[in-house]
Amino acid sequence: MNDPRFDRLAELVLDHSLELRPGQLLRIDADAVAAPLILPLHREAIKRGAHAYAAIDLVGLKELLVAQGSDEQLDFVSPIELREVDAIDAAITIWSESNTRSFSRADPARRQRQLTADRQYSLRRRDRIARGDLRWCGTLSPTNAHAQDADMSLADYEDFVFRACHVLDDDPVGHWRSVAEQLGARAGELGGVRELRIVGEDTDLIAVVEGRTWRSAHGRQNMPDGEVYTSPVETSVNGTIRFGFPAVFGGREVDDVRLRFEEGRVVSAEAAGGQPYLDALLDMDEGARGVGELAFGLNYEIDRFTRNILFDEKIGGTIHVALGMGFADLGGLNRSTLHLDLICDLRREGEVYADGELVWRAGRFLSEIQPTSRPVEHVG
Amino acid sequence: MSDSRQERLAHVLVDYSARVEQGDLVTLETTTLGAPIMRELYRAVLAAGAHPLPRITLEGLSENLLKHGDDDQLAWVNPARADDIETVDVRIVLDAPANTKRLSNIDPKRQARHELANEGLRNRYLQRAAAGELRWVLSVYPTEAAAQDASMSLAEYDDFVYGAAFLDAPDPAAAWRQFGERIDRVGDFLAGKRELRIVAEDTDLSLVTEGRQWIRAKGHENLPDGEVFTAPLETSVEGEIRFSYPAVFNAREVDDVRLRFEAGEVVEASATRGEEFLRQMIDMDDGARRVGEFAFGLNEAVPLFTKNILFDEKIGGTVHLALGTAYPESGGLNRSALHWDMICDLRSGSEVYADGELVYRDGHFLNGLASPPGGASRPAEPQQQ
Repeated sequence: MNDPRFDRLAELVLDHSLELRPGQLLRIDADAVAAPLILPLHREAIKRGAHAYAAIDLVGLKELLVAQGSDEQLDFVSPIELREVDAIDAAITIWSESNTRSFSRADPARRQRQLTADRQYSLRRRDRIARGDLRWCGTLSPTNAHAQDADMSLADYEDFVFRACHVLDDDPVGHWRSVAEQLGARAGELGGVRELRIVGEDTDLIAVVEGRTWRSAHGRQNMPDGEVYTSPVETSVNGTIRFGFPAVFGGREVDDVRLRFEEGRVVSAEAAGGQPYLDALLDMDEGARGVGELAFGLNYEIDRFTRNILFDEKIGGTIHVALGMGFADLGGLNRSTLHLDLICDLRREGEVYADGELVWRAGRFLSEIQPTSRPVEHVG
Repeated sequence: MSDSRQERLAHVLVDYSARVEQGDLVTLETTTLGAPIMRELYRAVLAAGAHPLPRITLEGLSENLLKHGDDDQLAWVNPARADDIETVDVRIVLDAPANTKRLSNIDPKRQARHELANEGLRNRYLQRAAAGELRWVLSVYPTEAAAQDASMSLAEYDDFVYGAAFLDAPDPAAAWRQFGERIDRVGDFLAGKRELRIVAEDTDLSLVTEGRQWIRAKGHENLPDGEVFTAPLETSVEGEIRFSYPAVFNAREVDDVRLRFEAGEVVEASATRGEEFLRQMIDMDDGARRVGEFAFGLNEAVPLFTKNILFDEKIGGTVHLALGTAYPESGGLNRSALHWDMICDLRSGSEVYADGELVYRDGHFLNGLASPPGGASRPAEPQQQ
């Protein structure tokens, strides 16, 4: 049975995220479990006159490499795949997994070594994206593994994913265009702010954002999307913050993280669960204790934590702070191999002050930015 | 549940067939249904110190292209695949279909356009193989679809496939080496002959093989394997042949094909079903009407027709010929985007003459050349009648 929601998500990614054009070369990266989305993406790309192919992975192969490969095999970077990255005009990564914990028991050093080799592809891809030579989008095809992490049935999880992507709206592309306008305006407004103060349960944190660029994320590089983010001034972050949602990194969880910052550095880190792992992450390198990102999650169709950062960081009414790598193009200076997103739920009693003025309460900005197009309605 | 024969298949493919060596770049090509064998292959390639490169296809992608692509898209050659063909040391390819009839409703002209465009890739990999730069092997991973085509349960089909590949033998690679010696004896015998004549029901076909190489297929490029083949002189094929089994190409079946050749070219082609497809295929290009391959099937562990050419052409007691492109290493000159094997069962009421002398009757060489070792009829030298 064909579920038309997959077709509509495919169309949305091709038409809004990638703006795919005839004659372009598209590569779809995915595990085989994402077949329900791979097929319509490929078909719709062909219908749009593009050349498309899928690079399909199978769960268990990289796991074998990490478990059994020699150092030379772990370090291997395929020259063919590097040339592919150079040749394509558009790329889609479908992050779907059939087991989100299949690396949980892998030797961390060996896994790290294999990831370092894999990073050669994503670094080259990032360079081409930055130069404007390549359009890229990451998305998800719902699977039982992700539903399980979200404590949902697959059917419920599909509803959640497609709602978050607004694919059942009358005009999904129109929706995301209006999101682009709203979030663009919000980013512009935040661009005029010198200092933000975030106040919530066990949380009182100050960060200077003056001189940094705020970016709106409206469905170009992620689907779903919906956040505005920047890299705050590295030495300016001071105070305490408590992250109500578990932090998931590398298939492992750290629960109820509380951090204290002094002059931009984590000086105290406590977790109710996974303390040794949190400590190991913070000691990964010099930049791991610094802040790389501060962001507002603004997708109000994402109303719950599902242990998947693609969705969690966009939960409407949250902020997130990432330890580690900052965004150089937004003015961020922090460098690290870590980029650990930690999400703080401000929906109940959170407040945010911009240069002393209350701008956000209980998960919403107080000033409405009106969309220019009419609010979208759901069909079916 | 893991079938230990899968692990043995992987090891025969990696260690015996493709002789994977340390540092080799090895593409592992199958469908998503081949996941279990893919993991065994991946493991075996790692154990050999080589670099496994999975190339997994999803059924439905080719249908997307063939149904919805315009002429440019149909004629497109994936540069990443071309790079694979140009770069890798080894290709290990396993058919694992979910539905062997998935392309049945595709316009054959569109399909032909796609095949033509990708002919260069196939020629290039065969060229690199002939030059010793690339090793490749084609095998299967048993699926329900393939079992259905063979009119078997999957469990029965597993037994058929793994039996044909000698995976039940204590040492499968040793069994292939031993069978290879027998195949060599047949190849040596045929290499001394000028002309062959095949006589069977509605069949009397002659062809000249002098000066061409008889290639001995011993489990290196196909698994299972077991045939000797050559390319007859392109203008030498004369007479008529009726193929016992349906001719299957791109998952389409054509029943009861009869061909008449003059000076090497098909001048009459008929079929009781699928005749239009047959005509379209042989009109594909200039080389599609000529014979690129003639072969004897020698594998007695493949006793029946299963609608899969990898097995069918090896059936012990059959011959087959292929319309279209020749394998360069056989010395054949014919080139085409087509290579369509058609099989003729010679196990009853059939004879083959070599230079006028009866050398083969009812599925067996008379001199016992291809008989299993230890049999009473096994001579050291080809016998004279």
